[in-house]
Parts: sequence; C-alpha cells; structure tokens
Amino acid sequence: MIFRDHFLTLVIFSVLVALFFGVLNHRDRHSFVISVCKTLAWMVLGSLAFAYLMFWTGH
Amino acid sequence: MPARPSSWKAAAYSLPTLLVPGLSHWVLGRRRRAAAFFCIVGLTFAFGLLLDGALFPFSAPNWLYRLAAVAQVGLGAPYFIGRLVGLGNLNPTEVANVMFGYGNTFLVTAGLMNMLLIMDAFDIVVGRKE
Repeated sequence: MIFRDHFLTLVIFSVLVALFFGVLNHRDRHSFVISVCKTLAWMVLGSLAFAYLMFWTGH
Repeated sequence: MPARPSSWKAAAYSLPTLLVPGLSHWVLGRRRRAAAFFCIVGLTFAFGLLLDGALFPFSAPNWLYRLAAVAQVGLGAPYFIGRLVGLGNLNPTEVANVMFGYGNTFLVTAGLMNMLLIMDAFDIVVGRKE
C-alpha cells in the first residue's frame, strides 16, 4: 500500500474519471476543459457531501 | 448514401481494446486519444492494485464480489493476466484493510471504463460518432 489518505485517494479517483470522460466526449480543447471541470466538481463535492452525511449519521 | 460497415467489422475493430486499453482507437487512427485512454485506464488499474484491491474470481463467496468480477472482466487481458500471476488475490486478511474498498473501486472502474471504450470504438466504426 502506498498511502492511506482518504481525501488524496478520492481526489486521484475523481481526476482520473474526469480526465477519462473529458477525453471520451471532447470535440475541442474548450469542451475538454469544461467537461473535466464539471465532472471534477460533481465528484469532489458529491463525495464530500456523502462523507459529511456518513459522519453526521454516525453519531 | 455510403454503405454502413457490418457489425462483424465493427466488432473486429472494437475488441482489440480487450488486449490493450485504447488499442481500438489506435487502430482507428485516433492516436492521441488512444494514448490518453491507455494512460488513464492503466493508471486506474495500477492504483487499484497498489491500494490492495482484489481482482475477484467468479467463484467469489459473496454475490457483490461476483458482480465486481463481471465489471473487472471488462479490462480483458490485464484482468486475466493479473489473475494468472496472482495479482490482487482475494485474501481474507486484506478485506479488513482500510484501503481494500478504495482499491476495488479503482479496479471495477477501470473495467467499466474499458467497456465504454469498446462501445465508443464500435460507434466510431458504424458512424454514430465522428
């Protein structure tokens, strides 16, 4: 195992998935950047919201 | 109206991705995309193994693990070679590992990404996508 950091793992995962869909769907550089940013925003914010929900309901 | 290529031809062009991620796009002349797909799927697979994820067998005791195996088979050759050389064995002591779930998610995602690449290459050959 190289690291145990949950947040770092989440960020790496989100970046890889965002890049994948960016490359899959882009027509030009602009649409690539927009696609990556949108996927990244949804994944990171969604995951943080989910983590907060888990933390909140864990008490 | 130009003749549409047969499904057999489309399948023949889309299945090389099962050997190497992105190979179909390389064969279809989309070299930069192919290189990007190879790096992204390869990195996802590598991180999954580094995070102690498992390449699940179809004989796994849990049905969720068997479902994960279906997704991981989408990787094609990397999955079967990994299983053959003993990478990502389902080890009972690893299940308790903090990063086991993350590693599995990476590996399942890599398999699903590769399935999408097969479908994308198929769509390119039949003319549904540029």
